[in-house]
Amino acid sequence: MSELYREVLLDHYHNPRNYGVVEPADVDVRMDNPTCGDKIHVTAQLDDAGRVAEVRFEGHGCVVSMAAASLLTEEAIGKTVAEIGEMDLHTIEELIGGVRLSMGRVKCATLALKALQKGLKDVAQG
Amino acid sequence: MSWETQALREQFPILKQQIHGRRLVYLDSAASAQKPQAVLDALQGVYTEAYANVHRSIYTLADEATRRYEGAREKIARFIHAPEAAEIIFVRNATEALNLVAYSWGRANIGAGDRILITEMEHHSNLVPWQQLAAQQGATLEYVPVTDEGLLEMDAYAGLLAVGGVKLVAVTLMSNVLGTIPPVAEIAAQAHAAGAVVVVDGAQAVPHMPVDVQALGADFLAISAHKLGGPGIGALWGRRALLEAMPPFLYGGDMILSVSKQKSCWNELPYKFEAGTPAIAEAVGFGAAVDFLSGLGMDAVRAHEEALVAYALEQLQTVPGLRILGPLDPTVRGGAVSFWIEGIHPHDIASIVDEDGVCIRAGLHCAEPLHTRFELPASARASFYVYNDRDDVDVLVAALQRVIQLLRR
Repeated sequence: MSELYREVLLDHYHNPRNYGVVEPADVDVRMDNPTCGDKIHVTAQLDDAGRVAEVRFEGHGCVVSMAAASLLTEEAIGKTVAEIGEMDLHTIEELIGGVRLSMGRVKCATLALKALQKGLKDVAQG
Repeated sequence: MSWETQALREQFPILKQQIHGRRLVYLDSAASAQKPQAVLDALQGVYTEAYANVHRSIYTLADEATRRYEGAREKIARFIHAPEAAEIIFVRNATEALNLVAYSWGRANIGAGDRILITEMEHHSNLVPWQQLAAQQGATLEYVPVTDEGLLEMDAYAGLLAVGGVKLVAVTLMSNVLGTIPPVAEIAAQAHAAGAVVVVDGAQAVPHMPVDVQALGADFLAISAHKLGGPGIGALWGRRALLEAMPPFLYGGDMILSVSKQKSCWNELPYKFEAGTPAIAEAVGFGAAVDFLSGLGMDAVRAHEEALVAYALEQLQTVPGLRILGPLDPTVRGGAVSFWIEGIHPHDIASIVDEDGVCIRAGLHCAEPLHTRFELPASARASFYVYNDRDDVDVLVAALQRVIQLLRR
């Protein structure tokens, strides 16, 4: 058994939730992590109250980046822009099972969150 | 003579520690090497016995500091068979050495329409300075292609030279990703015949094999001490005639002979290029690292690593889906072995093997154009040095089997 690669992480890596593209989308952001080649495309639709109604991701990268993206999409549904804005590395670490990530993995783990936060900010700014 | 890895490991205090309850298996020496006790003692010795600023003072303590600092320069000159110690310039690292050549020699000698040749396997430090120089001077930067096997296309090189106008050829003496040892003596001979100056990036090669700058026919050689067991310092070797004709790179103290309000006269070599107080203890530690390697004998170091790489290449290929980057012939390559496992991101490989105490690198290894050429987003790299042996390869291979077990479905 691995400290980081626990069942929850591996499950979301092998069976990603909310994989794909939301159409039409209020949020549509592509982001990459050039140092390791991780790429992500996050799309989302907001409801009338400004909460995330649907969110999907697609992309490729390491287990941490892809599983974190999958876990994030589940967590983000129903949340407001402000609530998602408050999420950070700690939120992701909790989602993947309370593991403390090494500095080298922080960018992987937060790639999808950064993309979603950027997309929501773009929507807010019109 | 017999190679005693276990006895050697005893001389590297850091290797005595455990990581996650496992023996530390350090396989990232291509990024930076661990330090033997002799180097740590040399650093400590400067600060506890002989520390003062160099070159400037009359008193005995400063004289001893200067003696140790200049003694290190002589050791390094002998180590790479430089004709004289005055051709060794202390810099921060190989990157700074290459930048020194690009800024000083490059700006004075590269003009509009000139051509600069490098190879597809260069580290960014032997690529970006030339890319920027070319852009600033209106010159062109062209690349000698790399074959699928990871060797240089020498016919293409000859063809690129034959077009004419090549002023500079910059090449690594050992690829930090592929491990490839290009035929630099032949490259230099052809470059000189075409009227070009030859810059050699020795960051990977100098720690791992005998290097003779005169036999190579190089004009400049860049070295990083931290990759050969020394502290954070480096050196540039250059031919006296070229160095003398070059303008200084940095201005300030120690690099001048005399200064008036409106003009200055430059100091002689190597001080013309060593502005300001240098990294004194680090230079002495560099000398100690060179002594340590000379004690082992660079032929023996090379033979040990060649045998170890042969074993590693053979064992790694037993891992399902693992593909080696670079040549499979251990006689034409060094101790950096990069690989890719189908369907598994290198970051995950590095994270999982870390749990077994194994330190490997994952990423682009500062060679993005090379990864683009091989259509890889990143790679994993294990690199070997004097303190590594077959037991390290075995731990790595077992850890990689665990990676497969964990991640492949």
